[in-house]
Amino acid sequence: MARGTEPMKPTAVKLDPRGGRPREKSKTYIEGMDRMLNGGIPIGNTSLLAGTVGSGKTTLAMEFLINGAKNGETACYISVTEPSSKMLENLRTYGFFDDSLVTEGKLNIFDLGIINDRLGVERLDGSYSPKDMEALLGAFEDIVDELQATRLVIDSITAVCYQLPDRGSIRNFIFRLGQFLSTFGCTTLLISETVVDAATQTYSIFGVEEAVADGVILMGNVQRQGDLLRTMQIVKMRGAKHSRARHLVELTPIGLSVVPLLKWGQETGAVYS
Amino acid sequence: MSYQSEVRDSIKAGDSLATVVVPANNYRELTLDIVAKLLGSKLGGIYVTTSRPSTHVVKEMKARKASLNDLYFVDMISLTVGGETGDPRTVFIDSPTMLESVLLNIGLLERRIKAKRHFVMFDSVNGLSIYSEMRVLKEFMNVLANTMRLRRTYTMMLTVDEQTPPELEAVLVTLSDCMIRGGTGDG
Repeated sequence: MARGTEPMKPTAVKLDPRGGRPREKSKTYIEGMDRMLNGGIPIGNTSLLAGTVGSGKTTLAMEFLINGAKNGETACYISVTEPSSKMLENLRTYGFFDDSLVTEGKLNIFDLGIINDRLGVERLDGSYSPKDMEALLGAFEDIVDELQATRLVIDSITAVCYQLPDRGSIRNFIFRLGQFLSTFGCTTLLISETVVDAATQTYSIFGVEEAVADGVILMGNVQRQGDLLRTMQIVKMRGAKHSRARHLVELTPIGLSVVPLLKWGQETGAVYS
Repeated sequence: MSYQSEVRDSIKAGDSLATVVVPANNYRELTLDIVAKLLGSKLGGIYVTTSRPSTHVVKEMKARKASLNDLYFVDMISLTVGGETGDPRTVFIDSPTMLESVLLNIGLLERRIKAKRHFVMFDSVNGLSIYSEMRVLKEFMNVLANTMRLRRTYTMMLTVDEQTPPELEAVLVTLSDCMIRGGTGDG
């Protein structure tokens, strides 16, 4: 064979088509969910946790925070719709909750009243002016910075969006929120309420939030022989090679558990997400 | 050879999955005898019941003087028929259509088993077929079989001889390491 014409050595085919270096992940420690996410949510991602009423959004978000706190992280929950005392009462009904996480400052629960106090205003409701929006973003930033929080949940982003004047403001608000949270390395879940619409799949009320968020985790219900089953599906997650299969979610004594949903067990035309 | 000896041989052979085909006339006696024998051999167990409430199985096992210290239940029927649901060793499933819950709860109960080795008794495939369509059932059997095989858990799927349609039997034959069709039931 003439010099320089040796056949090229075949390069090994990489089984992972994305290749590259995987991002560091924030484990959810929820049975089955980290497998769906290929290790967890990429650190610093701001994801939408979308779903209808009763689909398990708050429970999942809380478990994400509690599991992080149990593993030495500082977690924050900001409730926009409910007083923190009521939220705490509900939390105590879960076997996986531990009061000491709150007393030791690993799990911090805020409501709008507390935020208003920090802002030095009596009430922050009604439609937000650009100044209010800045103040609210500043308050969220201060909380995360002060506590060195690595996990945050805002419940719900929909309630915040209702106060913003237009879709442009919503986009701007979520973009800037995500930007500073990412800088802080704070992994965030924004709870988004959706409504049932058989014709189109929606991930938010305003249709803007999902475009700006790094990830979309969709919670829903499917009907099987008249029974309602809670489901979860990861629609998008920047920086993670994740499952897109629909999974069943169940609340067990050790917390939520996730297993793949049977393919034939979903009734056509009766899917509520 | 009796059912019990065939099950014992199947475990010794390193099987993962066995279908136990039992005649309808002494189904109850035979299945409980198999479980009692396995528990007596220092195995822990998970009994998945779709055909009778777990409280009923416990009562009958106690009558056999079987040790129930390391036996747990996944009960798919009590909540549907309004039975007792207070037993701490039992996970009660909302509805027999919630097939994925079985897999999930077997996994959770396996953590509570003290014995080094354990089995899962699935009583019965026919019980499930009352509530689920054949294609759903076939998919579930396929997932169950492969999940248990991956976990290396010895699993017995019970089926009533006279009530198993050829289509379902064919699935069970394909999935199982062995088909046990005992003779006398003693031993």
